[in-house]
Amino acid sequence: MNGSVHQQPLAPDPPQPRRSMVVCAVLGVAFMAAVDEIVFHQILGWHHFYDRSTSRVGLLSDGLLHTAEVLGLVAGFFLFADLRRRRALAADHAWAGFFLGLGGFQLFDGVVDHKLLRLHQIRYGVDVTPYDWGWNLAGVLLLVIGAVLAVRAARRARGATAS
Amino acid sequence: MRFAHAHPGAAADPGLWGWSSSVGALLAVTAYVLASGRLRRRGDDWSRWRVVSFGAGGAGVAWAGVGPLPGGPFTAHMSGHLIVGMAAPLLLVLARPLTLTLRVLPPCAARWRLLALAHSRPVRLLTFPPLAALLDVGGLWLLYRTELYEATQHHPLLHAAVHTHVLAAGLLFTFAVCQVDPVRRRWPLSLRAATLLAAGVAHAVLAKSLYAAPPPGTSLVAGDLHVGAQVMYYGGDLVEAAIGTALAAAWYRATGRAWTRRRLRSAAPVLEG
Repeated sequence: MNGSVHQQPLAPDPPQPRRSMVVCAVLGVAFMAAVDEIVFHQILGWHHFYDRSTSRVGLLSDGLLHTAEVLGLVAGFFLFADLRRRRALAADHAWAGFFLGLGGFQLFDGVVDHKLLRLHQIRYGVDVTPYDWGWNLAGVLLLVIGAVLAVRAARRARGATAS
Repeated sequence: MRFAHAHPGAAADPGLWGWSSSVGALLAVTAYVLASGRLRRRGDDWSRWRVVSFGAGGAGVAWAGVGPLPGGPFTAHMSGHLIVGMAAPLLLVLARPLTLTLRVLPPCAARWRLLALAHSRPVRLLTFPPLAALLDVGGLWLLYRTELYEATQHHPLLHAAVHTHVLAAGLLFTFAVCQVDPVRRRWPLSLRAATLLAAGVAHAVLAKSLYAAPPPGTSLVAGDLHVGAQVMYYGGDLVEAAIGTALAAAWYRATGRAWTRRRLRSAAPVLEG
């Protein structure tokens, strides 16, 4: 009985566009945070581990964001593997979510962490203005790519259900 | 980590805590290996990875007790804490020592008492994840943000008590969050994951604050303090990621089984019809 059941081609789960997008946005945020940590903190040594001007709220927000990134990377990976296993991954929506996550973190880090909370600056001992512009424009660009991909994914999904 | 750091002249002597924790860890590993061998000889399945995990955890505790640790006094202290309070507890807990003990013991008074203890009200309370997290990370805040750390450098008994607490609280926290051994009250994944997140935040904030300000009453070299704080910050990340992976992998296996059952159920009527 069991053997014959396994030979039956079972229908895969229907694609889950919203879940695909959210899971990949989590992965995008965590990925960008990891890039920030590895490239700017560790390899280039531009960012400082602790900046004297850091406030208590800043420390708390940094700890929360940092831990959430680490755990988000792990959770996102397993949620992604679960979507793949059930063949429920909607690839277009997944890419859109990933870019939205990348850009969202980049812009949040540039505006809230660097400027509002003043956790640390991009680089020390230089005029930081061009770095801030480059950083935040890169974030906006990634967000725009994500938004374009999301609109295209939504259009395609509508087209597929209409036909 | 070692009491010896306070007295450079006595560097060879790991102190009360060092010797007792090392001997205790090696005894526990020996008992574990014997018990798992007995299970396997009688034909039960017991993964070798669990034996490896328990052995590595026990070796970590023993090494932190008597072995040399790199860096200045505070860095070495922090590496020792990371091993004893976080990494070794995870390795020991994932090896499911309680399950192994219950399976290897014959139906006798000792086994009955152990089971009664595991299901008792105090254990149920202590393994409530947020409380376990509070005992673990709250203890660290007490240690580094009061004069306690400075006092442990001069009083061997206090030093031993603090390190015993770090190991016990680390074991309790990991046990409560991972929940791989049989306890009566099962907590949902959402609560355990949220507890892990909150504990990780408190740990990260404490590590960064140590970078800026040493424990009260100490006069540490800035370089040593900074490296120690970063060991705590990034080392904590690694172990938190490992605990998160253990939780996520358990979720992945459980949802996979549920999904297969659902598919088989939905496929069965088609076969019959």
